[in-house]
Amino acid sequence: MTASVSPASIAMDGSGTTARTDPVRSPALLSARGLVKNFGKSVAVAGVDFDIPERAFTTLLGPSGCGKTTILRMIAGFEDPTGGSLELDGQSLASVPPEKRPVNTVFQSYALFPHMTVAENVGFSLTLQRQTKDVVERRVQRALDTVHMVEFAARYPSELSGGQQQRVAVARAIVAEPRLLLLDEPLSALDRKMREHLQIELKDLQRRLGIAFVYVTHDQEEAFALSDLIIVMNRGVIAQKGPPDEIYARPANAFVADFIGGASLVSGRVAEKKAGSASIATPLGVIEAEANPAVSVGGEAVLVIRPEHVAFVGEGERADAEATVIHAIYQGGRTLLEAEAAGVRLKAWSTERIAPGAQLRLALDWRRIFVTEV
Amino acid sequence: MARRFSRSIFALPVAVFLVVGAVLPLLVLFMFSVFTVEDLDLIPDFNLASWRELFTNPTYGILIGKALMSGLAAAIGTAIIGYPVAVGMARLPPVWKGVALTILMTPLYVGELVRLYAWRLVLGTEGLLNSLLKSIGLIEQPLKILLFSPLSTALVLVYNNLPFMVLAIWISVELVDRRLIEAARDLGARPIEAFFSVILPLTTPGLAAGSFAVFALAAGDLLTPSLLGGTSGSTAMAMVDSLFGTAFDWPTASVLALALLFALILTAVILAKIVLSSRGARAALSGGLR
Repeated sequence: MTASVSPASIAMDGSGTTARTDPVRSPALLSARGLVKNFGKSVAVAGVDFDIPERAFTTLLGPSGCGKTTILRMIAGFEDPTGGSLELDGQSLASVPPEKRPVNTVFQSYALFPHMTVAENVGFSLTLQRQTKDVVERRVQRALDTVHMVEFAARYPSELSGGQQQRVAVARAIVAEPRLLLLDEPLSALDRKMREHLQIELKDLQRRLGIAFVYVTHDQEEAFALSDLIIVMNRGVIAQKGPPDEIYARPANAFVADFIGGASLVSGRVAEKKAGSASIATPLGVIEAEANPAVSVGGEAVLVIRPEHVAFVGEGERADAEATVIHAIYQGGRTLLEAEAAGVRLKAWSTERIAPGAQLRLALDWRRIFVTEV
Repeated sequence: MARRFSRSIFALPVAVFLVVGAVLPLLVLFMFSVFTVEDLDLIPDFNLASWRELFTNPTYGILIGKALMSGLAAAIGTAIIGYPVAVGMARLPPVWKGVALTILMTPLYVGELVRLYAWRLVLGTEGLLNSLLKSIGLIEQPLKILLFSPLSTALVLVYNNLPFMVLAIWISVELVDRRLIEAARDLGARPIEAFFSVILPLTTPGLAAGSFAVFALAAGDLLTPSLLGGTSGSTAMAMVDSLFGTAFDWPTASVLALALLFALILTAVILAKIVLSSRGARAALSGGLR
């Protein structure tokens, strides 16, 4: 619907026009089908399919070496796919060089041109388009305004802090109004406070611009804070894709559950399966919970128990397990406990300070525990 | 302060050696330049006749100008040919870089005289190139301009000095972050535009280093012009050589040598000033590439 909207027109129109509909359901801008990339004998991306919605903030999330950056580089045009297809607006991107794609990138190291001022960096793409000096100046000003960097226009990149360089890199990437903005771990070099601050700004910017953002990160908290849609990658394949709450509550497999949110995984065998739920025999006993439809009776499965699914109960109340505290990690305000019950390690939050060795009675929130594939 | 001084003391012997080694011969040359020669004897007096000769006899000016021109021509020629080679080398996988480097240096392993006589065999009227052109019917009479001409001198000066230029540019290109080139492409630059907007400005230190080396080597080259340049092969260096040697006119030889040295240094300083004050050079030299 809103194919190319200039930053300023949205900024001036006010807010809310794009928030009415779910961005995840917006039409697919970019489609990957059977996408493969090999480097020599090693497989970086092993045949993935995904769609990038036109107005959504999509994150490729995974540990280092999972293929997420390679996918980003194929979308930008820096790497040629070994197999499969990439289509933008139904047009194949094969043999389209990077400079001809309506896609711009914010690089991990910012990659600002050290011999150009901030204004020249931001205006680089417009100058290449042979825009008049007036137009370049006006649009550079507008882009810098979007990232609150107008007063730094005459500086050189080496005179800016990391956070400021990052903003300039964003301004440079949005000034030509791309259909798709690629961001390659753009906040990883910044300290925590600056990172959190810029996360909010990036999310806000994506909403205002109404264009597709594809964000690459290994930081699951960052992915959750920013994304409408998360694509979790592992070893070159997609482990799961979906909205953040879906991925958190219903991880497709043990890898996703473990990678996201520090779950305790309890393995067992599926004893019985009903519509939407399953019973699983574990050292903690037979537990019935919501289940991934892919698990099969008699097969191995895991129980995903998040720290917030574990409660402490007093004597006389119903308890699922008796546990001994192994580790207690004080995190300011609350303590993360690791406790052992029937040979199984469980993580739990406590507001009180509890010392290792303490005996506890635990109750599990059965309605929120999830059974999924190994 | 005291600490820094105590460390720099180790550099002192070398510094003294360099200063004495460079300054002493110059002082000697300057001394000779004001002496006079009488019946093959050097008479130590103070006479500016040789210096007057430098400014009144146009031969010296022409020869010095010629040296500067051939130095500049060689620098420009090697830069134009060297850049694509250097950029290409920087993109090779590491193993192939070693191979490319070895190939690049091959001409230097062959002695200079051998190389120059080999060029005679290639460029001569009965040489390889003329025979080839004749056999494919492109020419009927051998091209005389190929050998003993300013063209052959320039060609071989470029050939001889190309490795130094490529080496300097190549190292400089290696230091430019690949992501800067990707960023330029990403923002809409075609490869040639990325070259002129990113690679060229940020590799000017390499270009400058290569240019100085090639300029000095080519401007002071004696053998190439005299063996391949024919009648055009007279050079300031050859003149200095014959003035010191057969003519035994040491004062004039000293004046010419000093004037040539001064002209070369002045040109190099102006070049350095122009090239190194560019923004690309400043960014590259202040560590902005990382």
